[in-house]
Amino acid sequence: MNFLETLLLWLTVLSIGVLCGFVFTSKVKRVLPFFAGYCCMLLASAISVWLAYRIFGFRSLSAYYCYWISLLLNAAMRSLAIAELCRYKLRAYPGIWGLGWRVLTGFSILFLLHASFDTWGQPNRLAIYSLTLDRDLDIASVAVLATLLLIHNYYGLSLEPLQRTIAAGICFISGTDIISDTILRTFYTGYLFPFFSANETSLWVALRPYFQRINDLWSTMHAICFLAAIGIWCYALRKPVPARAEAPVLLPVDVYRELSPAINMRLASFNDRLVEILKP
Amino acid sequence: MNSLGFIIIIGIALSGAFLWLQFSGHKLFRTDASFFPIHANDALPTAKHFVYFPQIRQALSAADSRYLRETAPPQVLKKALRERRSVARRFLKGLHEDFSNLAMLGRIVASLSPEISRQQETERLILTLKFQVLYSLVLLRLSAGNLPLEQLGLLTGIVERLATRMDTAMAEISALSAGQYSGGLGA
Repeated sequence: MNFLETLLLWLTVLSIGVLCGFVFTSKVKRVLPFFAGYCCMLLASAISVWLAYRIFGFRSLSAYYCYWISLLLNAAMRSLAIAELCRYKLRAYPGIWGLGWRVLTGFSILFLLHASFDTWGQPNRLAIYSLTLDRDLDIASVAVLATLLLIHNYYGLSLEPLQRTIAAGICFISGTDIISDTILRTFYTGYLFPFFSANETSLWVALRPYFQRINDLWSTMHAICFLAAIGIWCYALRKPVPARAEAPVLLPVDVYRELSPAINMRLASFNDRLVEILKP
Repeated sequence: MNSLGFIIIIGIALSGAFLWLQFSGHKLFRTDASFFPIHANDALPTAKHFVYFPQIRQALSAADSRYLRETAPPQVLKKALRERRSVARRFLKGLHEDFSNLAMLGRIVASLSPEISRQQETERLILTLKFQVLYSLVLLRLSAGNLPLEQLGLLTGIVERLATRMDTAMAEISALSAGQYSGGLGA
């Protein structure tokens, strides 16, 4: 490990430690338990990877497996944290939630299926599997968060500042991961693919410096973006989490049943008149 | 375009959409049924523009145009036509606002309802998108100068009825949330 890699590793472990400290002092686990779990998972992963580097060596196969498996576990836990963000505000509005969870689940299933098919078609190598799955999960994360905000904006609701900032941090890290994962995967499945193939051992020596250089560059970029996301979350958690807002008072169900068709009818008549005006 | 560029563009587009939604100054509604009876007249959307429609209808009428063409000198006629188009454009904007208010009322009612219909919500979304397209086309034709102004006068009637309907609806919602409702809400 060079100086920059060592520095980034220590900074990552330290910043995740600080984040977990904020998670416990702000008592965020009362309102967002899965996000708190995700932060703990990040700490556990960082310590595991650090231990693997210390025990087996930075360039060892065990450290390599440990890193890629921890990346997948983090992605899975992040998905749960996103599901929790989706449910947090909308569940107070049972009508919208009843519709919204179907839309969001539909999106998630679509992207997960795409991720599975995409990963299934990859060469049988852990790094390529993990990169593809991580990238597709990141695309799904940003798409689901964007849909969630779209539903909120459409119905005039708003996520609370804490949830908005947490979502912004997740979006930032997912967005940068989509780009960096795609670039690295292109190298792995193209130019560097012989490095993963058992039949091309003669090329390993020649490709090894390139493989390490690209890997180091990707790890550095990933770590810097990850530190930025942790900074965003620490900023969100700097104050104690406010108590959950009271549930809104709802209207009787008959109001919607009778008023909604009437409103739609009026809206349709607006459009009909505009169509008439546009007729030559 | 190769898959590398495609995925990167998707990533940037999705992140951009997220950030736009995150920081766009969208309008937030007070989403609580207890809000209706107290401030119904002040805070709920109303069709404000209809009060000026009799004058607009007069200004856009065919008779008015004919009178101008027959009596006014060319320069005055040109100026009058320009001003009439400007009035028509503002009228369309008001119409857009009234449509948005009505759609917003629908969304408020939906958000405060314990159950909503997927069909109704999809229909309203499609109607809103359709209105945006039609509105843009009408505005475009008006700006290009090939839309007879008299046709816009036809819209005044519908907006007037809409305003009356919205006032009634809001009064009924207020009564409902206060537990005083006894009648129907049919259009």
